[in-house]
Amino acid sequence: MSNTGGNTATSNQALVSDSKDASKPLQNQKPAAQLEEDDEFEDFTVEDWAKEEEVGAQGTNTHLWEESWDDDDTSDDFSVQLKEELKKMEAGRSR
Amino acid sequence: MDSLFQDFAQANNTLNGYLLATTISPVPPHSDPARLYNFSRSANSYSIQTDLRYKLQYNPDIQLDRKEANAWLEVYTAFYSFVGTLLAAEETQNAGRAREADWARVYDGWKEVVNALLKGYQSSMFAVWTIPCLYTAGRYLRVFAIKADESIASQRDSGLAFGGIQEEDAFNPDSKHEKLEDAARQINRIFALCTSDRAPLEQSRKWALYYTATLLFKTYFKLNSISLCKVILRSLRAAADSDMPPLAAFPKAHQVSFKYYSAVIHFLEEDYVTAEALLTDAWEQCLRTTNGASKNLELILTYLIPTRLLTAHKLPSKALLAPYPRLAALFDPITSSIRAADLTAFNAAMEAGEEEFVKRRIYLTLERGRDIILRNVFRKVFIAGGFEGAKEANGGDGTPTAASGSATPLVRRTRVPVNEFAAALQLAGAEVGDGEGGVDGDEVECLIANAMYKNLMKGYIARERGIVVLSKAGAFPGTGV
Repeated sequence: MSNTGGNTATSNQALVSDSKDASKPLQNQKPAAQLEEDDEFEDFTVEDWAKEEEVGAQGTNTHLWEESWDDDDTSDDFSVQLKEELKKMEAGRSR
Repeated sequence: MDSLFQDFAQANNTLNGYLLATTISPVPPHSDPARLYNFSRSANSYSIQTDLRYKLQYNPDIQLDRKEANAWLEVYTAFYSFVGTLLAAEETQNAGRAREADWARVYDGWKEVVNALLKGYQSSMFAVWTIPCLYTAGRYLRVFAIKADESIASQRDSGLAFGGIQEEDAFNPDSKHEKLEDAARQINRIFALCTSDRAPLEQSRKWALYYTATLLFKTYFKLNSISLCKVILRSLRAAADSDMPPLAAFPKAHQVSFKYYSAVIHFLEEDYVTAEALLTDAWEQCLRTTNGASKNLELILTYLIPTRLLTAHKLPSKALLAPYPRLAALFDPITSSIRAADLTAFNAAMEAGEEEFVKRRIYLTLERGRDIILRNVFRKVFIAGGFEGAKEANGGDGTPTAASGSATPLVRRTRVPVNEFAAALQLAGAEVGDGEGGVDGDEVECLIANAMYKNLMKGYIARERGIVVLSKAGAFPGTGV
């Protein structure tokens, strides 16, 4: 936060230790002030981070998405199947 | 009590809002795990006011004016009694009597802490650097409300299960989220406290707005009141028009969480273009983890996958899903059936994942993957049709053949009998039968016309001749043919 920017280092530390605490058993007890909501966006362990720490800074975003069709399977197979299916349909009609 | 007020003093002297927030946190700091116990035992309800006044007003380490000290006195008095209820509930739960833990009382106790805090802000006693206290306030309102509702529900269930007294009026069946609904109202008060702040930006509580908005979104999602999220988005837009810092000026944690939730809201409104932009941003800006995966990234992907399927007709690669076995198990059968143009497999995958897809509210969007499968089926027919020259060699009967080598540039066969599409649809497992072993031609033409209408296939149907005339230039836009 820009207006409290001077304290970022300490505040991050405070948050980190706080979150560690929430994930570890407290005095061998399960911390009560904790939720297990599996479909909920989690609070980050730190408030702010540099651009270099972002996922987008990895630069490996190619190959993550692929086309929605597949040309690899032999279209010959499909042609044969299609012919057979057409024959079946013809036969069904002439009956 | 000492360590708590040492931190309070240090936070005040260094204007460290996050440290200050730890002094009212229901979770003790890592460095001082017994803080809440010690705080509770260091006083009793008769002496607490005097003890606190001594700590806050006559403490040589802290320079607070009397009014501000009084405002904090109210906060910590409420916190003291809250800690008592919290420790009691925790003790009961840890003694194996989870059902008896009184989380409703814990929630009410926390609400008193929040009320005291809000009062301090409303009377302008607390400066803007203290706003992390509002984050803590809002965050645990939700946590304790959810716990309270759960324990009320489980007490009710056990009462019924063991044939206990069934008092009609004891529980209102409509309000199984009674406390959470109340929490939404309280968090909304925090939100209003921040939007209404007219102080100059650098001293404005508006810096708490995006965090608070995200808390409200989480709450409304749980309550299934998505429409209320839109009210919040609207008031944020109104604030942005006046004097609100740009989203990019907020901490990344606030930005990413806010973008995720507003993306999901747009997703549910079927505004997939906006959703995609926000999700992509959230993904890129998300904090990188050591193993490359995180729950938040997984959640972003859960919506980005169906979104990109619709906007760009793209599917996630194996590499993208590899760090997320749960997502891979959920989406791999869908994506491979789409690629293979296999409707039977697609239906099976949708059925297998139905519960999860519905829970995540992505079922209907994924269902639209059907369009892509049909596009793929038609495209396969087109490719199997080969090229114009080959048609002649084959006697022109329209049966598909493989392309034969030729010196002239090859043009794909663009006149395709509807029958071939019908046969391909049968093969893919589409329900186009007429119920008597034949094919319902109208149904087939309807599917073809649909694909054309959605611009997945370009051309027209020549009904009288029973053929589909496809565009010579890009019959299947964006797919290379």
